[in-house]
Amino acid sequence: MSSITIEKSASKGINDLLRHLLSTGKVDAVLAMRMMPDTGAWDLALVTDVKNLKELKPLAPVMTVNASQVLSNLSLSGKKIAAVLKPCELRAFVERVKREQGSLENLFTISHTCGGVFPLDLVAEGKVDRLLPKYEKVVSAGEIPSNIRDTCKACEHFIPMNADIMVSAAGECKPGEGCMIYLNSDKAREALSECTGEHGSAVLDSTSLEKLATARAREREKLFSSIEKDCSGLDGLVNIFGKCVGCHGCSRVCPICYCTLCDFESINFDYNLPYFEEHLARKGALRLPPDTMLFHMGRLTHMSFSCVGCGMCSDVCPVGIPVAAVFSRTGESTASIFDYLPGRDVTEEIPVMIFKEEEFPELG
Amino acid sequence: MTETTGIPVVLKTDNGVETPVREFLGQMLDSGAVDALIMPLKVPSGDSFAWILLNDAGMLDDAVPFPAVMPVQGARALRSLTRKEKGDLTVLALMRPCEIRAGIELSKLGQVNTDNLILATYDCPGAIPLQDYVNDPESSEASFKEMFTTGEPGENAKPACRTCVNFSAVDSDLHFGFLGISDEGMLVIPGSTRGAELLQKMDIQSETGDKLLPLWKSEVESILKKRTAARDIAFKKTESDIKGFSGMLNVFSNCIGCHNCQSACPICYCRLCYFGSEASRSNPEALMNQAIKRGGISLPPERIMFHTGRLAHMSLSCVSCGQCSDACPVSIPVADVFSFVAEQTQSTFEYKAGRNDGKPLPLRDFKKSELPGVHELVKDAEPGGASHE
Amino acid sequence: MNKEFKPRITSFLCKWCSYTGADLAGTSRLQYSTSIIPLQVMCSSRVDPVFLLKAYLSGSDGVLLGGCHPGDCHYETGNYHTRRRFALVKEVFESLGLESERLKLSWISASEGPKFARVANEYTEEIRKLGENPTRKSIFL
Ligand code: SF4
Ligand code: SF4
Ligand code: SF4
Ligand code: SF4
Ligand code: FES
Repeated sequence: MSSITIEKSASKGINDLLRHLLSTGKVDAVLAMRMMPDTGAWDLALVTDVKNLKELKPLAPVMTVNASQVLSNLSLSGKKIAAVLKPCELRAFVERVKREQGSLENLFTISHTCGGVFPLDLVAEGKVDRLLPKYEKVVSAGEIPSNIRDTCKACEHFIPMNADIMVSAAGECKPGEGCMIYLNSDKAREALSECTGEHGSAVLDSTSLEKLATARAREREKLFSSIEKDCSGLDGLVNIFGKCVGCHGCSRVCPICYCTLCDFESINFDYNLPYFEEHLARKGALRLPPDTMLFHMGRLTHMSFSCVGCGMCSDVCPVGIPVAAVFSRTGESTASIFDYLPGRDVTEEIPVMIFKEEEFPELG
Repeated sequence: MTETTGIPVVLKTDNGVETPVREFLGQMLDSGAVDALIMPLKVPSGDSFAWILLNDAGMLDDAVPFPAVMPVQGARALRSLTRKEKGDLTVLALMRPCEIRAGIELSKLGQVNTDNLILATYDCPGAIPLQDYVNDPESSEASFKEMFTTGEPGENAKPACRTCVNFSAVDSDLHFGFLGISDEGMLVIPGSTRGAELLQKMDIQSETGDKLLPLWKSEVESILKKRTAARDIAFKKTESDIKGFSGMLNVFSNCIGCHNCQSACPICYCRLCYFGSEASRSNPEALMNQAIKRGGISLPPERIMFHTGRLAHMSLSCVSCGQCSDACPVSIPVADVFSFVAEQTQSTFEYKAGRNDGKPLPLRDFKKSELPGVHELVKDAEPGGASHE
Repeated sequence: MNKEFKPRITSFLCKWCSYTGADLAGTSRLQYSTSIIPLQVMCSSRVDPVFLLKAYLSGSDGVLLGGCHPGDCHYETGNYHTRRRFALVKEVFESLGLESERLKLSWISASEGPKFARVANEYTEEIRKLGENPTRKSIFL
C-alpha cells in the first residue's frame, strides 16, 4: 500500500494534507470538525478557502452530528469534497449511499484510526481543549480514555473500512514515526502524488492496535452485559424505555434513519377514540401518547442491522436512555443472521432488499 | 388573575395533599361524572413519570397528582387523545398550569378538542429539570417537596419555572389551591360553568371555601410579585445575551441542529416541521456556492434560521413551559430566549397565550387599522443584518 | 394454567394462498381453532414488520403470518422478502428476550385446507401453553 510519512504530529500532518488537496484544486472543499474561533464552540465545517483551514481540527474527538448526515446532500453538489470522517461516519455514509442518500463519486474520504469521541455534554461545557492532551496520550498508547462515549469504548471498528486516505491517529505510535498516511485508492494516490512528505509503501501495523482491539472487545462485553437484564423480556424493555419522552431525537440524529417523515410520526399511528376506549376496557389504563415501545422496536426492526454504533442517539436522549447500547447489541444480532456488516462494502446490498431462495429453513 | 366561577369547596389535607386529590378524583370516576382521568404515574424504572389515561379507580393509588418533573408536556397527551375525533368520552386531566395553557393554545390551533375535557390544575411550585431528576430522583423529590411546601421554586427548579408568572389561577375548569391556606385544607375552585356544575353534582359535604379564598388569593399575589421580579431580571439578561445577530449566534453556538427543542415543544404540533422538510433543505449546488462565496459554512446549515423561524411560527403561543431547554442535549437555554421573545410578540398583539378568553390567534385575525409603527420598525432594522451567519 | 384462557391469534393471511386455504378448511367443515382472527392481505409481503409488532404490543397472544409456499407467490418473490423480514423481527424479539414464539410464519397453499386447520390448532395449543401475552396488561407500552 502506498503511504506518505509527514514528520509532524498526526493532527498537523492531516492539516498539511488537506491544505495540499484544497490549494492544488484537487478538491473544491474540505469537510471536517472545527472549533469556532470566536466562541470556542464546535461545529462541522465545510471550508472552501485555504485560509480558513487553520480553524479545522480534523482529528478532534468530537462528533456534533454524524457527518454522514450532512454529507449526503453535499455529495450531490457536483464539486469535489475531501471529507474527514470518523470510521463510523464513513460506514454510515456507505449505508446511506446504499439507500440512495448520497454518492461517493466526488468524494475523497479521509478517515483515521479512531480513539473515540467525547460525549456532547463535555463538548458543550467547553472542556475539549482541556481534556485533549490527556486524551491524545492515552489514545496513542493504544488505550481507552475513560471519558469517551460508551459505544466508542465498545467499538471494534476503529480502523476505517474503505477510506481513500487513512491517517494513523490511534495505537502505539513509535517515536519519530510522524504522521502516517495510507493511500488506498488510485484517486488518492493520484491526488497526493505531489504532497510533501516521504512517499513509500507501508501497511498499517495492526499489531500495534491489538491491545486496543482486545480492550475494546472487553468493553463491548461489559456494555452489553450492563443492559442484559433489560434485554430479557417485556419488563426489561419497559424498564429501559419506559421513561422515553417520545422526542424522537434518537432517530433524528441517527445517520441510518434517513426518512424525512418517520413512519412513527405519520398519520398511521394517530388513533380514533375507539382505540383508546378498547384499551381502557381491557386494561383500565394506557399511556399517552401511545406507542413508545412500538417506536423503539420498530426502529430496531427497520434499521438495527445497519447501526454503526456511533452513539449519537444516546448522546441526545434527554432522559439518558442507553439507546445506542441497545441498538448496537440488537444490531449485532440482526446483522449477523444475514452475514452483514454495515459499511463494509458499498456493493453489498441491504439485507432486506435481497433474498436467497434457500435460507432460514427453520421458518415457514 | 382568572375569576372564579361558582363556589369553591374545601378538602381536608390532614393526610397531605395527594390523598384528598386522589379521593376526590376517585369519587368523580365512581359517580360517573367523568369517564376517565389523565394522570402521571411513575414509570417502572422509578426515575420518571408517564401520562396515563385510566378509568380503573384502583390505579389512582399509583397516580402522582403533583409530580416533581414534567417529562412530556401534558398538552401532547391531550392532543394524542383528542386530535382525531372527539367522541363522547369525558376525561379529566390534572396537569400543571403551563400544560393546561398549552392545551388551550392547541385547541385554538385545532389540535386538541376540549369539548369533553375537564381541565384541572393546581398551584404549581415549579418542576425539577428533567435531567436532574433522572440522574437523582431521590434528592430531586426532596427539593420538590421543599418547593411544594413553600410554593416557591428556588434554585433547584427549572429556570422557566423560577420566572413563571402563570403558576396559578390560569383558565381551567377546576383548580386545586393550597397556597397560604395549607393549615386549613385545600380549595377546589371552579373556573368555568362546567367546573362549577361538576362540583355541584359531586355534592361534597364541606364548608364552603369562601372564607379561605381571600387568603389563598393574597398568597398567590405575593408569590406572583416575587416571580415577576425574577422574570424581569431574567428577561434583562436574556435581552442583552441575544442582542444583535452575534448575540443570537453566541447563545446558540453549541446547537447541533437536533430539533429536540421543537419536538418537545407542546405548541410545535406539525407532523413534519417545515425546518425538517424537503422544502427547507438547501439544494446541494446552492449550499456549495454559499460555502464558496463565504469561504466556508457551518453545518448542519440553517441552524439559526431554524430558531428564528420557530420564533416566528410559534412564539405567539409559547407558554414558557421550559420543555425545550429540558430536551436540549447541549444545555442551550432555549426557553429563556423563547419566553423573552414570546413576551415581546404577544404583547405586540395584546395577546396572552393560554387564555380561554375568546380572543382569536393573532395571526388569524387583523384590524384594518393597527400596528401603526410597523413599517418604521422595518425601516430602522439593521441593514443586511443577517449576512454574518 | 388457566383453563379458561382462550388465546387471540391475529392472523395475516395472503389472499391467494393461506386465506383461500383457510376458506377451504371452512367449506370442508374441518374444525379449526376459534382463536384465529383472520385478516386478509394481498400478499404476505404486504405485512410490514411493524404490523407484527403492533399486533404483539396490542395484546395478541400469537401473531400468525401465512403466505404461499416459496416459489408460488402470486407476485413471484414477495414471500422470499417476507421470510427475510420475518427472520429479522424474530431476531429483534430474541435479542430483547421477548417471546419470539408469539410470532409464527407458515406457508399454506390454497389447496391445503387440512394443513391450515392443523397449523391453526397446533399453534393455538402452543400459545395456550405459553399463556397470556404480558402486553395485554402492561400500561406503559
Ligand atoms: S431520544 Fe430518548 S427520549 Fe427521545 S425518543 Fe429517543 S429514547 Fe425516547
Ligand atoms: S442507532 Fe444510534 S448508534 Fe446506531 S447508527 Fe443510529 S445513532 Fe448511531
Ligand atoms: S418554545 Fe419552549 S417554553 Fe415555549 S412552549 Fe415551546 S417548549 Fe415551552
Ligand atoms: S435542542 Fe438544542 S441542540 Fe437541538 S436544535 Fe434545539 S437548541 Fe439546537
Ligand atoms: S401472494 Fe401469497 S405470499 Fe405473495
